[in-house]
Amino acid sequence: MEVILQNFDLVIFLFLLCLGYVAGSIAEKRHYKSILQREDELLKLPVVTAEARFSDGRVQKAELVTGSAVISIDYFKRLLAILRNIFGGRVGAYETLVDRARREAILRMKQAARDQGAGMIVNMRLETAAIGNNANGKRQIASVEAIAYGTAIVFNPK
Amino acid sequence: MKFTPKRLDGNVNVSRTHPLAELSWLLGGLILITALVFFALGYSADWAATKAPISVENWLGRQALSHFPADENPALKQQLQALLDSLPADSPLHQYNFRVFLSPSDEVNAVALPGGNIVVFSGLLKQIESENELAMILAHELGHFAHRDHLRGLGRGLGLAVAATLLFGQDNAASSLVSNTLLTFQLRYSQTQESAADSFGLDLLNQRYGHVGGSTDFFARMAKKAGGKIPYLLASHPHPEARIEQLEGLVAKKGYKVEMTYPLAEGLRTVGQ
Repeated sequence: MEVILQNFDLVIFLFLLCLGYVAGSIAEKRHYKSILQREDELLKLPVVTAEARFSDGRVQKAELVTGSAVISIDYFKRLLAILRNIFGGRVGAYETLVDRARREAILRMKQAARDQGAGMIVNMRLETAAIGNNANGKRQIASVEAIAYGTAIVFNPK
Repeated sequence: MKFTPKRLDGNVNVSRTHPLAELSWLLGGLILITALVFFALGYSADWAATKAPISVENWLGRQALSHFPADENPALKQQLQALLDSLPADSPLHQYNFRVFLSPSDEVNAVALPGGNIVVFSGLLKQIESENELAMILAHELGHFAHRDHLRGLGRGLGLAVAATLLFGQDNAASSLVSNTLLTFQLRYSQTQESAADSFGLDLLNQRYGHVGGSTDFFARMAKKAGGKIPYLLASHPHPEARIEQLEGLVAKKGYKVEMTYPLAEGLRTVGQ
């Protein structure tokens, strides 16, 4: 007991590290499961980055659709990234974050398009932004935002 | 062109390395590098310690002394001289010109500085009840000199201090600055060095009095105040209880006698009050 009290900082650090790893892993696993499932559901809605031209009378409506997602790092990933900062190399810990953010953003955009009854999305663009990383505050919570936007095309019934 | 929806398997955007594997690689590498740097510094310090000329050692001693508002104490000097006289004639310690200083401070400690200077803090004297205890502490400090710990302890900074002296001269402000900053946190020995000094001190105490009574009294008093063992892993000295254990082991092994202690001399008892 005494040992724990005397090294309280260390105990808190290890606790947060374990919490970060366990909670982070569970959240990531569940998120990927949900992403894969929804990707399957929305598979038939094509999304292209190309500009598109359609013959006269085919398009009933064209509208902007957006989807965005913010994913936060956890304590464990932060430690990994700090260590990576010393040695350099691929920051593997952050790769899943960005990947999840991008795919979630695209899924939300597709969902928005489907809600409007769109047949496809053209001119899709992706952007990412770091949140809470600026403003010289070291204790800020770092997270990544991905925004996907495109033009949803609702076709005329043939 | 016909649109065929198809799901792609796998994910090229995410590395397959397990995060825990990555963590152990990174942490392992970091620990390894730190250890390498630490040992390289330690060895080069030991090397520098053996090569440092006596004049540099004396100069370092003067610099170190300036940290302690201290005066030479004749009563302490008498105690030390008695110990020195009981050393074997061929002891390398006879090459030193020892001086003992008493520093008014509440710190319960004594330090061995380069150039044969020993500083005893008055906080330590307050805790001491017998002449034998004091002799044990002085003998412990002499142990540091015998093992040249006073240089190795300064170790990590010594090379830089010597370089600064050579570059800027002995009485330059820059060299004083370098040595001051280095000396303040170099006044620590490793716990192994402390144990070795304890062992040396015990032998000397036996030579001086013919028995080792009082060798553990002081540590026993400190142990009561100190509490748990864990924080001592990082402390400058081993835990008092560990020191008592080690000393008692040595007493039993070498067959030293334990007899009555002598009371502290009048001049030293009043210092603490």
